[in-house]
Amino acid sequence: MTASLRVSDPEAAWTVDDPRELALRIRLRAVRMVAPHGFGYLGQALSSAEQVAALFSHARPGLDRLVCSPGHYVIGPFAAAAELGLLDEETAASYGQDGSPLEAIGTERSPVFDHTCGSLGQGLSAAVGFALSDRLPRSGYRNGAPKENADARTYAMVSDGELEEGQVWEAALFAAHHRLDRLTVLVDANDSQVDGPVSGITTLEPIAGKWSAFGWHAQDLDGHDVDAVRAALEAASAETGRPSVLICRTSTRHGLDCLPRDADGHFLKLPPELAEAAVAELTSRLEPTRE
Amino acid sequence: MSEGVREPPYRTELKPYGRALLDLARRRDDILCLSGDLTRQCEVDLFQAELPGRFVHAGMAEANMMGMAAALARSGHTPFVHTFGVFATRRPYDQIANAIAYPNLPVRIVGFMPGVSTPGGPSHQAIDDLALMRGLPNLTVVDVADAVEAAQVPEAVVDVPGPVYVRLKRGENPVIFDAGHRLTLDRAQVLVPGDDVVIYACGMMVAAALAAASALARHGVSAGVVAVPVIKPLDTRTVLAAAAGARGLVTAENHSIVGGLGSAVAEAVAEAALGRPLRRVGLRDTFAEGARTAAYLFDRYGLSTQALVDEAWSAAGRADPPPAAPVPAPDEGEYAPV
Repeated sequence: MTASLRVSDPEAAWTVDDPRELALRIRLRAVRMVAPHGFGYLGQALSSAEQVAALFSHARPGLDRLVCSPGHYVIGPFAAAAELGLLDEETAASYGQDGSPLEAIGTERSPVFDHTCGSLGQGLSAAVGFALSDRLPRSGYRNGAPKENADARTYAMVSDGELEEGQVWEAALFAAHHRLDRLTVLVDANDSQVDGPVSGITTLEPIAGKWSAFGWHAQDLDGHDVDAVRAALEAASAETGRPSVLICRTSTRHGLDCLPRDADGHFLKLPPELAEAAVAELTSRLEPTRE
Repeated sequence: MSEGVREPPYRTELKPYGRALLDLARRRDDILCLSGDLTRQCEVDLFQAELPGRFVHAGMAEANMMGMAAALARSGHTPFVHTFGVFATRRPYDQIANAIAYPNLPVRIVGFMPGVSTPGGPSHQAIDDLALMRGLPNLTVVDVADAVEAAQVPEAVVDVPGPVYVRLKRGENPVIFDAGHRLTLDRAQVLVPGDDVVIYACGMMVAAALAAASALARHGVSAGVVAVPVIKPLDTRTVLAAAAGARGLVTAENHSIVGGLGSAVAEAVAEAALGRPLRRVGLRDTFAEGARTAAYLFDRYGLSTQALVDEAWSAAGRADPPPAAPVPAPDEGEYAPV
């Protein structure tokens, strides 16, 4: 597989046997990607691992689109793509290094995604644009009609901190008004932003109530329960007449007990001893799932 | 005196761009039209009425409009995005930078009501749009002079591989050029040859530059006029060739003197070490207040034909008082340089 493959590219193909195990593998892979740097966006992978695993088990390869609005979250889907053979080992190992196509904050060269952006709050507009495009007449394209994608869904990863940006709500209004029901948003509600807990900086609650009031089908759930996320994605896909949002309640420290209690989830420090302990913990947890 | 250019006062046309965009869209079904709640003002009510399936009303939400346009372009459509220039550039700057300019997507951003052409106050005056758009990599930045060029904008920009920003005059557009005039994105055009001083002008200041050149000629100063419809990428060859043959240089733009045509010409001339005196006519790093009419603002803020004559007179090395520039009084439906 090439390092530039997007999940919606016709050649993209993968299968997920066990989403729970994939979530574990995303964590382990993310630890190994961050370890050479000693710090990085590991917390984003820890809080979104189940969402990413559920998404890759639910989305249809070569058809559905993936937008990662908070560019700091690209590590999770990169890890999943490497585990699923969408991204070669050498490229995955170059994460965050000089000259790598895998920058720590998403760029135009980021594989896997149809769109990502490091300036927060912008991704939902792109997802809305894709969903709108899929609804337009098939003939109107510069280079001839693309693959048949009348049934395509667009998935957008969004973070709770991003909900402080007004553009998210501009996009939410537009999507609901135009009844873009082939759009599903996963909000990673990990209550973490640079300056501290989101709830201590801006009151976003009731998050689900806000989206509902904007005309969206909103589900509030445990974002670390991979079955619950999968079920919510299925419910979203079945919804007609309005876009769907999953408010996934998560923690940036989830699934890695060796992290210090006061660790800064936005930008975790991972010195060699801690990285070693993290690899050992996750590897041991992975063993029983293989039985 | 000048090739392919009419004499003022100029007759005017309404909706030259809107009609041309619709005409092109009839033949090109990849074209989408986005509007930010200024549909009639941006001449695309014509598009909305005839091709509603390809018209997207984004509402009063410019940031989202740019983000959607980016994804639509990425999907293979060719979106033309419309609002006033001030809202098209200042408000969604980060969205244009990250979602459109950086991925180099073929989004056409069309901003109406340039500079001080509106008495709507500083909130409505796009006096820095050229500077903002010029500062972004991959952008092509266009400021056309009249209805003839405005009508050629859709065809000229539709197949540019990357993003384009075009500023267009709202309402009555003067017809300055003859029908045979062709807008090209890679060339500035010498409208009037002259070797004492050269006036480089874009957008609404082209009419004033032509009027100034006529007034100067009557008083023994040979003033050339170079129309520069594309601020970036600048046609440095034409700009420098004209500069090399003149004693002094003047730039004229309905925009701040910071970052627009004046800056672009100054950079080119300085890098070529031509050493010509240069005067920049435009808003002198100020917001423009206190207007009932655009003409008042052009006059008060130094964008009049007289201001151009004064600057050109001095750039040509004349120390005596500059001549007065007569301003033709236009009839109803006509347009004269201020």
